[in-house]
Amino acid sequence: MVVAGIDIGSTTGKAVIMIDDKIILGKIIMASIKPAQTARLAIEAALENAGLTAQDELQYIVSTGYGRLKVDFGNENISEISCHAKGAFHTDPEVRTIIDIGGQDCKAISLSAKGAVLGFEMNERCAAGTGRFFQVMAKVLACGLEGIGSPSNISPTAATISNQCSVFAESEIISLVNNDVPLPDIITGINRAVASRVSGLVRRAGLADKVVITGGCYGNEGLVNALEQALGLKVNRLPVNPQFMGALGAAVFAMEKFRAKTTETQINMEGAK
Amino acid sequence: MRSGLKSDIFEKFAALAGSISNSEVEGWKQQGGKVIGYTCSFVPEELFVAAGLMPFRIRATGSLSAGRADDYFEAANICSLVRHCFNKILTGEYEFIDGCVIGGGCDANRHILDNWEKSEARIPFLHRIFFPHSSGILMAQNFRNQLENLKQLLEEHFGLKITDDKLRDAIVLCNEIRDLQKAIYALRKVDNPPITASETIALVVAGYSMPKEAYKADLTQLLEELRGVTVPENKKTVRLMVVGPGHDEPTLCDIIETMGGTVVTDLTCYGGKTLFGSVHEADPDPLQALADYQVIDRPLCPKNLDAHPIINREVMDKIKEYRVDGIIGQSYLCCETWGGELFVLQKELKEAGIPMLRIEREYTSDSLGQVQTRVQAFIETISGGLL
Repeated sequence: MVVAGIDIGSTTGKAVIMIDDKIILGKIIMASIKPAQTARLAIEAALENAGLTAQDELQYIVSTGYGRLKVDFGNENISEISCHAKGAFHTDPEVRTIIDIGGQDCKAISLSAKGAVLGFEMNERCAAGTGRFFQVMAKVLACGLEGIGSPSNISPTAATISNQCSVFAESEIISLVNNDVPLPDIITGINRAVASRVSGLVRRAGLADKVVITGGCYGNEGLVNALEQALGLKVNRLPVNPQFMGALGAAVFAMEKFRAKTTETQINMEGAK
Repeated sequence: MRSGLKSDIFEKFAALAGSISNSEVEGWKQQGGKVIGYTCSFVPEELFVAAGLMPFRIRATGSLSAGRADDYFEAANICSLVRHCFNKILTGEYEFIDGCVIGGGCDANRHILDNWEKSEARIPFLHRIFFPHSSGILMAQNFRNQLENLKQLLEEHFGLKITDDKLRDAIVLCNEIRDLQKAIYALRKVDNPPITASETIALVVAGYSMPKEAYKADLTQLLEELRGVTVPENKKTVRLMVVGPGHDEPTLCDIIETMGGTVVTDLTCYGGKTLFGSVHEADPDPLQALADYQVIDRPLCPKNLDAHPIINREVMDKIKEYRVDGIIGQSYLCCETWGGELFVLQKELKEAGIPMLRIEREYTSDSLGQVQTRVQAFIETISGGLL
């Protein structure tokens, strides 16, 4: 059985192919303004990595992410909350809390011991606590996203960033720079501000060990450090690239759906005999 | 979303609910009738009906911007619905009303009057009544006195007389309308309701936008049509209830029903929250009957200090009555009244094992991508193995 999951986010597109139980990740594709086009590029990259030549070989496709409804070649779409939950639990069945920080939103998902979604929360009001927030701050500080996430920029004397609004926080940070506050203090302050916001979401959704982080911000070690302090629990890394977790969950759903469909067809055929 | 029922009444209600001014208003005005606008469901329409005025509830249908209103409501903590409603007033979409009564239920709402008076938008009659923020006999008496004052002001301004007999007739008419609406709501208790949530919203919003006698006749005919509908084959769905403030446009419900849910009932300010019991027709003092209904019998607004247990009980009753699988608590950004209420309600529902999704959004429907994701995930979560 060959199936695929496609995650079309606001910033990137990812696809995962499953050949029976074997998982093949595609590539991170920068999102274009047309989600369907991003989806095609993502699936082509995954097909190539899987050694497949044509999309026709895929027996079931599930799409997820903000662009999920625009993937015109998928069999069905499932929300990214369900897909991140499915992907993370498939990768590590001990996961109970997922923190997903994507390009333009962040989510906290609570899982049962069977992998069912018990609760979830998403940021509602603005881009604070998302990848976009980090991009804006990295630009202001001229340090790149690597600088924001670097463990060498974790400081014990963090600056206080009081504004949650990206626009106001930007001017607040400009003031800190003008006042010669050391860069690591500012960066740690930014990561703590985001962690404070995200940890509120996590508690509302339901916090339980084991906690993992998915989405594009998983590599921000400063943020992971700040989250661990805010939550009082270790934030773990998954063994599969966490940025693919939505697409992987979609692929697992695709496999389950296709297997169920195949079984149903067989039962119907048996009945017809 | 539309059901399979082809009905001229549905078409008419959808058209009325989809715009502000409409053919019914135009017809009424051409016959020399006066229209009085009002905000908030706690303003008793019966008083206007008894005065021979056509009540028209202020709403923001179709609004894409609150830009003009933002010049007045500068503070960020004014709810999106109020800003968009006031914007419609400023842009002249309510020029057809001959007066307006502002219900001072919540702070944002009451400031419409302050800003209206300071604006260039002219209105011949503008009045505000304050709702008591708790129930009880003393509060009902206070509210009755405010209604008496409003009655006198209406009589003076419009040159008419509101007699007790006219008030009683208006109470009977509005009770009959409420009963018809309740009967139509009850049709959604079945597995596959004959009407969609969007149609229900259009149905109740139309009632605020046309003369009451004609509305009653339309509802009567629609109820007959709906009772004759053969319910299509049952499909698997998640039965949901929407709870929150004024909800006069169908976008959210369309998202819910497109994503595999079915909104079977609601407790919102334009809909289910107005269908609570009846005004006492036999009361010798009809103004007191109206006040008692709004302050004692129907204290279902979180603005009331003692409303929470009643809201909770009503939600729980409806969950059983309509076999609700989950609650969608929706409010507008900066709605202080419902923001706190939904938080508490969610906690209590969680303890009772009933899932609830909270959505805080702008009035406009152009930023609903994230709402769509959350609604879909909520429905997926309730349905377990996905629909």
